[in-house]
Amino acid sequence: MAQTQATKVEHLLELENIGLSFKGVKAVTDISFAVAAGEICALIGPNGAGKSSLLNVINGVYQAQQGRIRFAGEGRRRMSPHDAAVRGIARTFQNIALFKGMSVLDNVLTGRTLKRRSSWIEQALRIGRAAGEDDRQREAAERIIDFLHIQPWRDTLVGKLPYGLQKRVELARALAAEPRLLLLDEPMAGMNAEEKQQMSRFIVDINRELGTTVVLIEHDIGVVMGICDHVVVLDYGRKIGDGPPEEVRQNPEVIAAYLGTRH
Amino acid sequence: MATFTDNTQSDTLPQWLQQQARQQGTGIALRHKRLGVWQVRTWRQLAAEVEHLAMALQVRGFVPGASLVIVSRPRPEALIAVLAAQWLGGVAALLDPLEAAAAQVPLLRELHSEWVFAEGHEEIQRLRAAGLAPRLLIYADGRGMAEVSQAGDTLAFAQLLLGSDHRLEPQARAERTAFTFYRLGAGQRIEQQRISHAELLKEGWRLVHSEQLGRQEEALAARAFAAGSQARYLLAPWLIAGFRLNFPENLATRDQDRRELGPTLVAGTRETYERLHAQVLARLPEPGSWRRRLVDWALVAHPGALQRHLGYWLIRRPLRDILGFSRTRAPLVVGEALAPHTQAFFQALAIEVRTWPDPAQWHRPARWPAPLVNGWIEDSTQPA
Repeated sequence: MAQTQATKVEHLLELENIGLSFKGVKAVTDISFAVAAGEICALIGPNGAGKSSLLNVINGVYQAQQGRIRFAGEGRRRMSPHDAAVRGIARTFQNIALFKGMSVLDNVLTGRTLKRRSSWIEQALRIGRAAGEDDRQREAAERIIDFLHIQPWRDTLVGKLPYGLQKRVELARALAAEPRLLLLDEPMAGMNAEEKQQMSRFIVDINRELGTTVVLIEHDIGVVMGICDHVVVLDYGRKIGDGPPEEVRQNPEVIAAYLGTRH
Repeated sequence: MATFTDNTQSDTLPQWLQQQARQQGTGIALRHKRLGVWQVRTWRQLAAEVEHLAMALQVRGFVPGASLVIVSRPRPEALIAVLAAQWLGGVAALLDPLEAAAAQVPLLRELHSEWVFAEGHEEIQRLRAAGLAPRLLIYADGRGMAEVSQAGDTLAFAQLLLGSDHRLEPQARAERTAFTFYRLGAGQRIEQQRISHAELLKEGWRLVHSEQLGRQEEALAARAFAAGSQARYLLAPWLIAGFRLNFPENLATRDQDRRELGPTLVAGTRETYERLHAQVLARLPEPGSWRRRLVDWALVAHPGALQRHLGYWLIRRPLRDILGFSRTRAPLVVGEALAPHTQAFFQALAIEVRTWPDPAQWHRPARWPAPLVNGWIEDSTQPA
């Protein structure tokens, strides 16, 4: 018993029998897995396997028809995106969703919205709590800008930045919310090898330096095996693999369905 | 107009620092941009930090004549480490921060210094790749340090400043080496350049007098640790004249920071001016367009009265602002002179760049340690 307690892993996120369908088409079926606090977990699988749908269920964009989600010890059947953000879940999107007409700094500052305590009227008149809050929010945003090395583009309009940098700005905005759980939907899609290496480094730094738990969707198996502690494999909405990268790599069902290297 | 006080008692760099701290203790000595905001250090604060670090080094066994190797991009902590080593009569050995990491590894391998200041994780990895295990390794940026295997005494810069209040007088001597610079010369042989306090101050004085530098100057130390010429024509004049030295947020933001700051003294290299010239050329309007014709009209070598006045307001003034030369009155190129077309471009903007040649003498170190034999260095004495 003592041994069991000693080896017990603290889970930040637990999915229990999650089922989601759209007008009868099943996107995910009976998915259960857990993400330990402080780990980097990858969701992999072929296109249409249900990875993005599952990410949307986790942060409340979609409501699962079956099962429940437990986050930080608290179980819920339904959760709105706002609830998810308040509870410490932030995400980035497969297609960049930034304010292209705003500067990098202003985009990062939008990620601090939930950290503001002043009311809109205080902010409009710059009185009360709003007076000192701007400086604090700016400093917090600047720390993220420094962390992700995007200082040279601080005042540049996001729409003028190359794709790889926009991805980094989106990551910065998600980090600005100081999340406990960071969901990254294909953070390296469309990047060249050098940009992927740089982004991988940042994800590892976020995990190790800031202690943020990360769940990411990624197609590059080299990246997944290189930086992740835990891999969950989906195929046609079902889970077919769940474990450390080395274990998943040996799983015959995963090899057959996804890696396609059964010869 | 020079406003500094001539003091023949100060004949080393640390003594000049002490003198500035006495004469203008609350004046701003250093500024550096961090988290988007310029942070300041007064002369008194700077001198106190240098003295504290010198004491911390002394306690750990740093003796006069020892070398502190600096592997860092320009930042205040690196400058403080330089001055602390010199305070104790030691030598600051500097590597070019713009040099490729792979090129630094063989240099570091041969230096095998016992005392190293490394900027952060990346530089420490470079030291490890070179097989260096210094007696004391100081780092400024703690990011990623949890991953680094910490052999020997590895300490954060801030940790070393938590010293006692004991006083320590500078132990440097004018004729002793203050800086050593290294490079890989012909045939990948390591060459060394040594500069004494006396030589630095002599060259520094020459520049201060010639350019009439005073406390009111603002200078940007974008490449302060790149070469001996920067030590001669930026660091020494800074301590003598007592002006403000500004560090950019990082090397990637140096041109933006220069624009924001508008320094009065620019002690750049040929590469600095060429990079700025290239930036302007890349942004010029299409040839043949009316806007391009206007730019060409405004930037002619010998403008008429109308061209001079209208061209100033429409083209030259905005261009000087963008380049960060709006207030510059001492534009200097240290080392190699500018190419004629770059010189002509700055002249057209009414920026008369003056060349201060680098009198550097590179030579093979006389007491260089024996080459590596099976991974071991036979002679463990430190160079410089």
